[in-house]
Amino acid sequence: MRAVRTALHGGLAGRRVQALAIGLVLLASAAASTLAAGLLAASNAPFDHAFAAQRGADAALAVNAAKAPAGELAATARLAGVAASAGPFAEATVTASAAIPDTPGVVFQAFTVAGRSSPGGPVDDIVLTAGHWPTGAGQIVVSRDLADTGSGASMSPGVVITLTGVPGTPKLTVVGVGVSVTNTADGWVLPAQMAALGPPTEQMLYRFASADSGAAVNAGVAALRRALPAGSVLGAESWLAVKAQENESIVPWVPFLVTFGVIGLVMSVLIEVNVVSGAVTAGTRRIGVLKAVGFTPAQVVSVYVLQVAVPGVAGVAGGAVIANLLAAPVLGQTSQVFEVAPQSIPLWVDLAVPLAMLALAGIAALVPASRAGRLSATTAIATGRAPRPSHGYAAHRLLGRARLLPRPVTIGLAGPFARPGRTLVTLAAILFGALAVTFGTGLGTSLNRVGTDLTLADTEHVQIGLAEQSGQQPSPGQPSAAAQQADMAAVIRAQPGTLHYVTESDDRLGVTGMAGTAAVTAFGGNANWIGYALISGHWYGAGGAVVNTSFLHATGSRIGDTFTLTDDGRAVTLKIAGEVFLPGNDPQVLTNLSAVTALDPSGTSPQMFYVGLRPGVNIQSYENTVFAKLGPGDYHQLSSGSGVLLQIISGLVLILTLLLVVVAALGVLNTVAAMTRERVHDLGVFKAVGMTPRQTIAMVVTTVAATGLIAGLIAVPAGIALHQAILPIMGNGAQTDFPPGIYNVYNPAELVLLALTGLIIAVVSAFAPAGWAARTRTALALRAE
Amino acid sequence: MDALVQLSDVTKQYDDDQSPAVAHVTIDVGHGESVAVMGPSGSGKSTLLNLIAGLDRPTSGTVRVGDVQVGELSETGLARFRRRQVGMIFQFFNLLDDMTVADNVLLPAQLAAVPSSKAQARLDELLTALRIEKHRNAYPARLSGGERQRVAIARALVNRPPLLLADEPTGALDSATGEEIGELLLDLNSSGQTLIVVTHDPALAARYAKRVIQIVDGQIATAVAPA
Repeated sequence: MRAVRTALHGGLAGRRVQALAIGLVLLASAAASTLAAGLLAASNAPFDHAFAAQRGADAALAVNAAKAPAGELAATARLAGVAASAGPFAEATVTASAAIPDTPGVVFQAFTVAGRSSPGGPVDDIVLTAGHWPTGAGQIVVSRDLADTGSGASMSPGVVITLTGVPGTPKLTVVGVGVSVTNTADGWVLPAQMAALGPPTEQMLYRFASADSGAAVNAGVAALRRALPAGSVLGAESWLAVKAQENESIVPWVPFLVTFGVIGLVMSVLIEVNVVSGAVTAGTRRIGVLKAVGFTPAQVVSVYVLQVAVPGVAGVAGGAVIANLLAAPVLGQTSQVFEVAPQSIPLWVDLAVPLAMLALAGIAALVPASRAGRLSATTAIATGRAPRPSHGYAAHRLLGRARLLPRPVTIGLAGPFARPGRTLVTLAAILFGALAVTFGTGLGTSLNRVGTDLTLADTEHVQIGLAEQSGQQPSPGQPSAAAQQADMAAVIRAQPGTLHYVTESDDRLGVTGMAGTAAVTAFGGNANWIGYALISGHWYGAGGAVVNTSFLHATGSRIGDTFTLTDDGRAVTLKIAGEVFLPGNDPQVLTNLSAVTALDPSGTSPQMFYVGLRPGVNIQSYENTVFAKLGPGDYHQLSSGSGVLLQIISGLVLILTLLLVVVAALGVLNTVAAMTRERVHDLGVFKAVGMTPRQTIAMVVTTVAATGLIAGLIAVPAGIALHQAILPIMGNGAQTDFPPGIYNVYNPAELVLLALTGLIIAVVSAFAPAGWAARTRTALALRAE
Repeated sequence: MDALVQLSDVTKQYDDDQSPAVAHVTIDVGHGESVAVMGPSGSGKSTLLNLIAGLDRPTSGTVRVGDVQVGELSETGLARFRRRQVGMIFQFFNLLDDMTVADNVLLPAQLAAVPSSKAQARLDELLTALRIEKHRNAYPARLSGGERQRVAIARALVNRPPLLLADEPTGALDSATGEEIGELLLDLNSSGQTLIVVTHDPALAARYAKRVIQIVDGQIATAVAPA
């Protein structure tokens, strides 16, 4: 054992660069794999984790306080099957606007405020992410979802909210931001504040002894309904419904996480095999010497497996730490999106993935070490480091005839043929790295376009909402809806920066043959310029509409079919002209205002104005001018939709792509270092006969250049194919198809650059060992065996 | 005598705590001269040769070959110097196993960007002169030791260097083959090629060198011209 330890110590000390390379490759690959697996595992169950931690409500009941006395409601806490309860809390639905610095006005339609004396309790523990719980009248804690207005502005403590739909338009100061895992409210005030917000309903929150299934929750809710006066329960929300809603946000991203994880694992295995085989091959002569002095085959195998295991353990441990450090901000952002408490990589992933990587490294070491262990001492010494006879000779001969290329380049190009197995594994590793770049680039562009298509930021520069958009009666001194609309149109038309504008009216209407309602958006004027992305078909004309994928699925209709919108006994039939890109499971219809006026003449008053600006017009200046002319308070800038999730996913794509590129680069670096070490004597000969340092670098770099170029050329079509295969799966998760523009993201110039990715990875990675080769002292290299 | 190689007070020390491999050596070698450097193992004779070839740099002193002060050259300058000014022959040939005889010989010319036709003509000339033309497309592993050393000599001469350095050129050969190689070196010197041979074989030195320099512990012990 002491002999093994001594030989191991000598092996590690004598091959520090090799040990470092093994450690670094395992570090990067373990980091990539642990991160991918960890994100996958963590993103699969953030809701469950947060639900348990925050004691989420299995059911949230809204109860008519006039029909159910407080005592009767409180008594439901003692019903059989109820494990815990909180409430009753008074709740009210209000409309509000907020004065956020640098933002003229943000409108919140119908948000729920609950009166609670504290954030904690046996059910629905509200986690404060900023500020503090209200301590007096006029204070409110808002949910993080409400705080993130989506227009780049967010509500933080200090912002004043005006409740426009409440008599007296009371003002509340935001003192905190909180998260309720079951979304029981959008804002919380002290119970005493609720009296000022109009006649409230009561909110009661329950945890049941059994709530694992929809049937169990329904049974619990049914028992509650029976215990309360008939008609007093206005609504009940199951935690399963909230979970389903949260998962709708996660599901689309799982395929891409799996893809990156699988690429990472495959690359890690390939590179480990190459690294370890290279290390053992380079040590073949030493193995012969060890056997010559009396080491048994088992001892030889032990020395070489441990020689890999020691830096390997350090590498995978470091990789796990890095994965956790990288995951922390990513999962932190993700948890914000999911409105759950901060997540971390599960412990089992932290243990299982690095151990699996280490086991793979051990197996990869075992095979060549066992082979070397079986060699006779003299054969092992004779085999040494040289490539097997006959490998690559023909390539040298042929390339030596290529007069157009400098000789160092042709020598380098012939290099890969000396060890075809290693070359193939290196090619595969670079290929996967370049594949990740192609796929990641395409995915990033697709996500960017999804964001642009959804926010319409490129075309719909300014969005202005009417204060009367929710249909409430105007406050004293506030102009009527018609007056606001006329003022708005006049001001917008008068601006020289206005290229075009359109009004929007929103309503929920019934669709014949479809359960529930569809969200109908009716535009006043030509809305073609807004730039909604079409998956198929064309923009609507007279009597037509475009609908989203969810609508087509819900109604079983196709482009060219007709459908009927209904409201209060009135009906309008429209023809489906196209499928518009609006993800989600809510059926949506976009049409012209004139097409639906017959349904509800009084309810189709425009609620918003969308303005497209002339090229070069500054958006902020335009908005400032318009709002100055309109006057404060009555008109509001609207948010254009949240892009946070897309930003997070784009960040993830970037991080994972970079990690995989680093893994590929380290693999190449190690391969080139191993090849350089194996041929150090030849290197001495080259230098002795006049090879300059620059020529040496060129020779070493070109050893992997062709491999990298070929890998890059293969990776581009493979990456595009992967992109085309994964996107529909992601779209399926988001319940939408994608417009062609989301798929066709690779332009010719980009493809040329992507095709060079493999070459770039190879060349950049080879520079370090090439520099080492150039600096090696010739006399020393000539003495190497 | 017009000196091609001039070593002035040259010292080479690898480790501070050890005695120098070469200490305060001063030698002149004239154009067309044939010099044998002799000494026991570890005496510093190979280090001396490496210093002249620009494979190593002196710790102090100057090494001049022709007009070139070798120690002042950059790494690139040294490589160019080795291409054009020096041909080197090694005890164990140092041929590249994965290249044919022709490719091995042509390598220095190709690195020096000698026009292909000119390099090919020189290759033909050398292979014929050294009687290895039939092995042109063979790989070194298939050749005998003597044939390999002939290939190494051809490679050393392909760029017509003024100075040929040989480090134990017969050390890995049987006596008959060593004799052949010795004759070949003698012929080259007779035709005007300056030659410095490191050897520990007194017979080789006595027969083929016009001058013998004895080195012991890195210092010149004697410098004599054979009778």
